[in-house]
Amino acid sequence: MGNHAKPVRIAALGMEQRTYSTLQLFFHGHCQDSYVLVEEKSADISIIDMDGFQAYRMLEEHKKHYPDQPSILISLSDNKAHDAVYVRKPIQLEALSSALRSAKKRLQQQPVAKISVPKISVKEVAEAKASVAKNTAKNTPKLQTADNTPNAVPPVLNDVIHRPKTVVKHAKPGSNHFNQYRYAADALTEDTDIELIDTKLAARFNPLNPVQVAKFQYQSKQTLQGYFQQAYFMALQKKRNIVLKGAWRPITILYKSKQLRVEKNFRHLYALSGMFFDKSEVSIAVLDNSVDCEPSIHETVLPAEPFLWKLSMRTSRGRVPVDTNFTAPIKLIRWPNFTRTIVTPHALRIAALWAKRPTSLVDTANYLAIPLQYVFIFYNAAVSLNFVTPEMAKKDRTTTSSPPVKRHQYRKIFQDLLDRLRNN
Amino acid sequence: MTNYKIIFTGPVGAGKTTAISSISDRPPVSTDKVATDMTRNVKKTTTVACDYGTVRLNGSDCLHLYGTPGQQRFDFMWDILTTGGIGLILLLDNTRPDPFQDMEFFLDQFQDFINQTQVAIGVTQTDLKSAPCIDDYHKHLDKQGSTIPIFEVDARKRQDVSLLIKALLFSLDPGLVENND
Repeated sequence: MGNHAKPVRIAALGMEQRTYSTLQLFFHGHCQDSYVLVEEKSADISIIDMDGFQAYRMLEEHKKHYPDQPSILISLSDNKAHDAVYVRKPIQLEALSSALRSAKKRLQQQPVAKISVPKISVKEVAEAKASVAKNTAKNTPKLQTADNTPNAVPPVLNDVIHRPKTVVKHAKPGSNHFNQYRYAADALTEDTDIELIDTKLAARFNPLNPVQVAKFQYQSKQTLQGYFQQAYFMALQKKRNIVLKGAWRPITILYKSKQLRVEKNFRHLYALSGMFFDKSEVSIAVLDNSVDCEPSIHETVLPAEPFLWKLSMRTSRGRVPVDTNFTAPIKLIRWPNFTRTIVTPHALRIAALWAKRPTSLVDTANYLAIPLQYVFIFYNAAVSLNFVTPEMAKKDRTTTSSPPVKRHQYRKIFQDLLDRLRNN
Repeated sequence: MTNYKIIFTGPVGAGKTTAISSISDRPPVSTDKVATDMTRNVKKTTTVACDYGTVRLNGSDCLHLYGTPGQQRFDFMWDILTTGGIGLILLLDNTRPDPFQDMEFFLDQFQDFINQTQVAIGVTQTDLKSAPCIDDYHKHLDKQGSTIPIFEVDARKRQDVSLLIKALLFSLDPGLVENND
C-alpha cells in the first residue's frame, strides 16, 4: 500500500458496475490505497449515486441507519439536498478528491465513539482470503503499488469481501481486465490537473537523505511510460514498427513517422499512468514492415513524442525514475517542441537554464526559486525522450546556491514583456 | 522612452509579417508590394523594406518588432535592422525545397548578432508538409553543437508566437520569473 496509514473505508451505494470499478481503480491507483471500498455496514464514508432507481429512498434508509456517517452524493443534476458533500457527474478527479478530503475531515471531527467500526470478524476475513486465493489466483491482475511492493491485500480481495451483488468479478487480463482500466479512465478527464505527491516534504527535500530520496523516486520501467519508452526507442533503433500489448488495446508504434496508432478513445491510457505492470503482463513485438499499419475506423494516429511527454508527466506526479542523481548537473540536449506539447509550470525556465548551463535538479529549484517537484516533472518527461542528460563527469558535485547564470542587463524589460505576453 | 527591438527573419513566405501581426499591439506597418520576381509563385505580395509592430511595455518603454524582408537581395538591410536588437526569431517554411539550407543560411548571416544575443526558431507550414519534423531540425543543429529552441509554429496563432518569444527571453535570462509558464 502506498500510504501506511489505515485506509478510509468507503461504501459505494447504488452504483453501476462501471462506476464501482472506476472508484476501485481510482482509490488504488491515484489515491494509493488511502481509501478502500467496503460494504455499507463497515464504512466510514459513503458515496451514493443519486441517479439510480429509488436513490432517494436508499439515501433515506442509509441516513436512518448511519446518521453520523459522512456522505458524498454524485449525480448528473445539481441536487444539493441533504447534508452531504456533492459531486456532479461526469466525475472530475479533482472534484472527487476534494469531496473525499472534505468527508474525511468531517469524519475526523466526529467524536471517536461515533465513528463506525468494522464489523467483519477475523474468521470472515480469513475465509474470504482463502476464498479469494482459491478463486482469483489465475485471474488477479498483478498490480503493484507505488512503492513497488506487491499488495499485501490486493484490491480484488476487498472486492470479494465487500462487493455489491451487482458487480461481477475481475476477469483475465485482456478481457474484462482491460475494460476495467478503460472504464476508470473514462471518468478521469484527460486534462485534469496533476496532483503532486508530498509537496510539503519536497519543500524540505534533502538529496542526502535516502528515505526522502526513495519517496521521490519510482520504478519507471514498470509503468506504461517505461514500456512505451522502451518500445518507442526500440522502433527507432531497429527502424521497424512495433506493437505494445498489455492491459490496454494494442499500441502500434510507427517508426518512420514517429507516430502511434491507438484506439480512438485513447485517453484511458493516461489513467494507467499510476499503475505498475509486471513484465509478464506486457509484450513488445517487432512487426514486419510489410504489415499494413493504416488505422482502422476504431483507431487514430497520434504523434509519439507529445504522447510520451504527457504520459511521463502524469506518471511522475513530482517524482523521478530510480537511480536519478539529484546533484548531478543536467544538460538540455534538445528543447521540447513546446507549442505542441504540455508546458508544465516553469518548464521554459528550466529548459533555458539547462541549455545555458548544466545544473543539478536541486540547484535548479534553488536558483529559480520554484518547487522542486516542478523540476522533477519536467526532468521526468524530458529524460523519457532523451532530451536531457546528466553530466556524469561532475556527478557528485556538491550543491551550491550561487546563481548559475548572470542577471541580464535588460531583465526588467524582459520581465515586463513576459507579463504582457501572459496578460494578453 | 526607451526602445528595444526583436528581429523576425526567415525566407520568403515563412510567416514573418503574420507573426508580427499576431503579437503587435496595433496593426503592423507593412511595406508589402506586389511580388514581381519568383516570389510571386509563393505569395502575391512580399515585404520589400520591413514589417514593423510594437508591444507597449510598462511605463514608457516600448518593444519594437521588426521583420526583415525575406529575399536575399535585401540583405543589406539586415545589419541595419539588427543594430540594438535584443534577440532574433527565425521563422522557417517547412514547405520550402530545402529548409535546412535556409536555416543554415540565416543562422550564418545573423551569426554575430546571435552570438551577442539569442535565437529561437519557429517552423511554419507544418500543417501543409509534415516532413522534415522538428527532430530533423535538431539533428541538423546537433552538428553545430547548438541547443536552440525550435518549435512548430502557426504564425497566425498568438499563443505559438508568444511561446517562441518567451523561449527567446528565457534563453537570454533563465532567471526571469513567470508564474504561468
